[in-house]
Amino acid sequence: MIHTLGIDKVGLVTSAAQMPQSAPAATVSAGTATQQETEQDAAHRPADPWVTIVWNDPVNLMSYVTYVFESYFGYPQAKAHTLMMRVHNDGKAVVSSGGRERMEVDVQAMHGFGLWATLQETGGVQGAA
Amino acid sequence: MTPFRAMRRGYESRMDPVERAVLARVARDVATMVRDETGLPASAPDPDPNDLPTPHTGSTTRVWNKGLLAPDEITDGDLAKLTGISSVGPTPQDPAVRRLLPDASTDDDGVAGEFRRLTQNDLAQEKAERLEAFADLLEPPPSEDDPEPEKAPWQTLGRHGAPPPVRVARESAEAVAGALTDMRLVIAQRLGLESDDDVNTLTDQVMWDQQMGREIPVAADGRAARRFWSGVFVAAGFALETLMEVMIADLRGRPRPPETGAEDA
Repeated sequence: MIHTLGIDKVGLVTSAAQMPQSAPAATVSAGTATQQETEQDAAHRPADPWVTIVWNDPVNLMSYVTYVFESYFGYPQAKAHTLMMRVHNDGKAVVSSGGRERMEVDVQAMHGFGLWATLQETGGVQGAA
Repeated sequence: MTPFRAMRRGYESRMDPVERAVLARVARDVATMVRDETGLPASAPDPDPNDLPTPHTGSTTRVWNKGLLAPDEITDGDLAKLTGISSVGPTPQDPAVRRLLPDASTDDDGVAGEFRRLTQNDLAQEKAERLEAFADLLEPPPSEDDPEPEKAPWQTLGRHGAPPPVRVARESAEAVAGALTDMRLVIAQRLGLESDDDVNTLTDQVMWDQQMGREIPVAADGRAARRFWSGVFVAAGFALETLMEVMIADLRGRPRPPETGAEDA
């Protein structure tokens, strides 16, 4: 995932755009309790037999992925950010869990947004990735 | 191209005619790729409002022509709409389209196949249609009111002597963001961008060339093509990134930035 292109103005042919900078990692000031909860639990309850996994890619913007997690799943900002960072740093993250049909709906939605997602059976025993 | 701003009637960016033309062309090309690779029918001509009977053509004839297609003119897509039963399209072989419609399982072909059978047509249709809608937004087809092809609406000047901005209605913003994402994914596959470093390096190069005032050469050699597509990739990324800023602000209910630009009619 790409944090930002770091550009103020872009022209396809000519532009006085500034040079891009590697933007510093976004800082998030989440409540400590919320952060612990999301880091331990992510989006997976152990009893759910299937999970939806979103995989990292070099193209999608971090802001876009965060938006998708907030908008589609309705996750709070801090949880969406944590999941996005997990995708970015670990290469993947469990973003939802439930029955197979429900996970197929979620994976279809992720593919609609252009994120690469898979569903996986956990048998209800495997913890969150 | 200016960053998208939140305005009363939507999100707005000002784009040069060449930026509109190139992004519209790429959007249409990607839509065509998606349709071709998944067996969807080519984009059907929009029945309204631009395809209304004109005084020069007998409306009765047109209605009958539209209403009674010969069987060999009915596509699978038409049949699917009629019956609600859709046949499974082929699994895309082009790796770029495959990225837009990826396998839904890394280790279970049964799960992936079942998912593709259930969802591929709908996903491909959604992607193709929103790409085409985005292209139409950038380059609106001539309307009944202004049928002169040499005076497309977006080429006419607004009150302040500037072309009207690209205006994305809030309800279509996710579709536009999705279209831009799919365009970037396809271009990235063609450019062989496989890591964050690849993307950052390419972005640096594009910006460096622009800083130096280097024009993209017209020559059709591979290097020129690569620079052209790199520019498109960065421009689409800029559009998406600035659109996401205002969409996220709206989503989180933050006060929007003050409306500074002029509202063009």
